[in-house]
Amino acid sequence: MSFSLRSVKVPPNSASLEEARSRVFDFFREACRSIPSVIDMYNLDDVVTVSRLRSTIASEIRKNSHITDPKVIDMLLFKGTEELNNVLEHAKQRHHLIGQYVVGRQGLIQDIGTKDQGISNFLKNFYTSNYF
Amino acid sequence: MGLGLLASKALKPTASRLLSSQNPRSLLFLSRTVTSTPELQKPEQAAQAQPEPTPDLPPRTPLAGARVHFPNPDDAIEVFVDGYPVKIPKGMTVLQACEVAGVDIPRFCYHSRLSIAGNCRMCLVEVEKSPKPVASCAMPALPGMKIKTDTPIAKKAREGVMEFLLMNHPLDCPICDQGGECDLQDQSMAFGSDRGRFTEMKRSVVDKNLGPLVKTVMTRCIQCTRCVRFATEVAGVQDLGMLGRGSGEEIGTYVEKLMTSELSGNVIDICPVGALTSKPFAFKARNWELKGTETIDVTDAVGSNIRIDSRGPEVMRIIPRLNEDINEEWISDKTRFCYDGLKRQRLNDPMIRGADGRFKPVSWRDALAVVAEIAHQVKPEEIVGVAGQLSDAESMMALKDFLNKLGSNNVWCEKNGMFHDADLRSGYLMNTSISDLEKADVFLLVGTQPRVEAAMVNARIRKTVRATHAKVGYIGPPADFNYDHEHLGTGPQTLKEIAEGRHSFSSALSNAKNPVIIVGAGLFNRKDKDAIFSAVEAIAKSAKAVRPDWNGLNVLLLSAGQAAALDLGLVPESENCLESAKFVYLMGADDVNLENIPKDAFVVYQGHHGDQGVYRANVVLPAAAFSEKEGTYENTEGCTQQTVPAVPTVGDARDDWKIIRALSEVAGVRLPYDTLTAIRSRIKTVAPNLLHVDEREPATFSTSLKPQSNQELSSEPFGTAIENFYMTDSITRASKIMAQCSALLLKK
Ligand code: SF4
Ligand code: FES
Repeated sequence: MSFSLRSVKVPPNSASLEEARSRVFDFFREACRSIPSVIDMYNLDDVVTVSRLRSTIASEIRKNSHITDPKVIDMLLFKGTEELNNVLEHAKQRHHLIGQYVVGRQGLIQDIGTKDQGISNFLKNFYTSNYF
Repeated sequence: MGLGLLASKALKPTASRLLSSQNPRSLLFLSRTVTSTPELQKPEQAAQAQPEPTPDLPPRTPLAGARVHFPNPDDAIEVFVDGYPVKIPKGMTVLQACEVAGVDIPRFCYHSRLSIAGNCRMCLVEVEKSPKPVASCAMPALPGMKIKTDTPIAKKAREGVMEFLLMNHPLDCPICDQGGECDLQDQSMAFGSDRGRFTEMKRSVVDKNLGPLVKTVMTRCIQCTRCVRFATEVAGVQDLGMLGRGSGEEIGTYVEKLMTSELSGNVIDICPVGALTSKPFAFKARNWELKGTETIDVTDAVGSNIRIDSRGPEVMRIIPRLNEDINEEWISDKTRFCYDGLKRQRLNDPMIRGADGRFKPVSWRDALAVVAEIAHQVKPEEIVGVAGQLSDAESMMALKDFLNKLGSNNVWCEKNGMFHDADLRSGYLMNTSISDLEKADVFLLVGTQPRVEAAMVNARIRKTVRATHAKVGYIGPPADFNYDHEHLGTGPQTLKEIAEGRHSFSSALSNAKNPVIIVGAGLFNRKDKDAIFSAVEAIAKSAKAVRPDWNGLNVLLLSAGQAAALDLGLVPESENCLESAKFVYLMGADDVNLENIPKDAFVVYQGHHGDQGVYRANVVLPAAAFSEKEGTYENTEGCTQQTVPAVPTVGDARDDWKIIRALSEVAGVRLPYDTLTAIRSRIKTVAPNLLHVDEREPATFSTSLKPQSNQELSSEPFGTAIENFYMTDSITRASKIMAQCSALLLKK
């Protein structure tokens, strides 16, 4: 199963937005189907659930929902497939997955929001790092 | 001496010069000096045939910024180096003349700051009319001398010397720490022969134990005796010497003995080969992997110029940088070897002390919120801020502004104690300036032991004493000196006698042309400091130590932050504010009287090391050390210099001024600067001299403006300001090497 996607090749361009859209759904299903084996391979059961990962994938895809150019969608799809392939081929390690898909892009501090309202840029930068 | 320089000189003949010169006459002339045949056979004729030097000769720049200073214009003589005329003062050696002419002469034993030994013979050059090549380092230049550095004879001589040196030098460059910065390596590449003829056994020499700092591999020694001359002349310890003769010659400490000098690390730099290398640095890195950052040292008030060599996030070593006005080219052992303290005991997360007395790491957000809340719960008079001895000017400015905004003005720099005469800069600076100490002829040291307080200043005094036999009088507890001195007494009583002219030393002072009086900053903590300072002023007055052309009244400070703190006006408002404090902000301050802080006071410690201050702290805010931040420091003579970050900060630490700026915003008294430039323009309004980097800003008014004090001198003798030379601040106290030094080298 894990090598089923091995031959990542560039499919012909999508002719229309419709076609691109359906390819995205195909990709999403493909990814969702591989989640259990990913959790298995990377020993992720104690940090994440199948449904959490599924919604992470969905949100990664939704991030680009505003894109309407089929060519761009094709390109993003290709990158997505490549990433999925890398994950399935164990080209990544556990902490990559945890860092990217479990903890999220914001890092460990999740409480950005109401607290930071009204503080200066200096203080915002100060909280993140010494170098700004 | 860089390999590049040497190689370009040796490998690239005058091709570039020829190309740049259009004049056919000079073309012919230059090519003749290179082949040199006519001069070899008939020197007189060749000299006559030589065309007069013309200005269209390509100009040459003196080597390594070699400066020519003519004390007396009549003493100038002219010599010709490879046909190029140079004017030099009388008394210079041939080697120096060549340097002025921009020709680098290979050398091993010659060192510009040491006496001339002339025993390596690498500097041989040809001088017209002399039958043999001469050792240029030991030969005074004479008027009209025609020196040739590029002739076959000179080249052959160098090749021969190299071959002899390499005979007994082991071929262990791959495991030698000097590899890559070794004079022998460089010069054998540039001047050596491509093969050796030596087939016998090489000699070997037993290694000596010189202590925890200097590693010896004595087989590598080429007997240049630089280290011996350094120890006797500059460091002033007669520890090293040359034993045996001929091939049995060895460098050693006559009896089994460690080298107990505070400058011993410098022999590592001056040893041209890998015989003396740094023990802590041994096998740690190769010098070509290191990134050099030119910065300054903060372990004492001298502000020695250093280069921090780092690899990735780690400081690997510290070596001196040339600064004629401050540290020449030496640094003290504390400066050189304290760097391992930068890796140990570091604070890397903000922490709050819980109810159980243990620290719990928290986020910056939470830590600042807690501090800000407490700061608002106490009365403004109960807020006290103490800057540490390593604080930079920017953070002290921020601290002062922050506390002022909270309504308190009790802020000072720890070593300054309750000293509050910050109005007159001349009252706390070394007015003579470090380099001008060389002009002095009588020194009076009051309650200061320069050897432990400021080793580089002590080296200057020693240099002066050696050169001019200046007299040194010392008042204070019995102390170690490495030059002749007269111990006049131990306390203020002696000072009074001198001031009243009853002491024998008074006449020496008043007969002196340029007397220098140095008062130790350790006296700042005495109750009768005002009386002491007015006694000293009286002495200065009667000795005419303060004149328009000479200011001989000095204060020798103890730590890097002191001068800037006084310039910025960090003086406490009331004497006993620490005892009644409820909120104490320690910015790297570990040497305040922590017992004086009341039990119920809330203590914030902002600093880079888990040192004494942390034991008492309720909140710890991690900050950057001097190697990690850009900060302005003023040294004891009033010279402003800046540190440059060499490595990244550890953990979640932040720059000092940023922490205070952030805290001020959380506390609702936001400071108006967001960048280093902005905080510097704030400093400009308080102490503009702190922005004139690398310049010494002398004090404008002399101390005579000060009102007389009518305090009584106490009879209590002066104390020692620094007990342990090797451990004076949080960095050096965390250092393992410094701990070894204090265990092995301190005289008990
Ligand atoms: S140990 Fe180094 S500095 Fe000393 S004589 Fe030998 S080569 Fe020269
Ligand atoms: S440098 Fe002149 S003899 Fe050594």
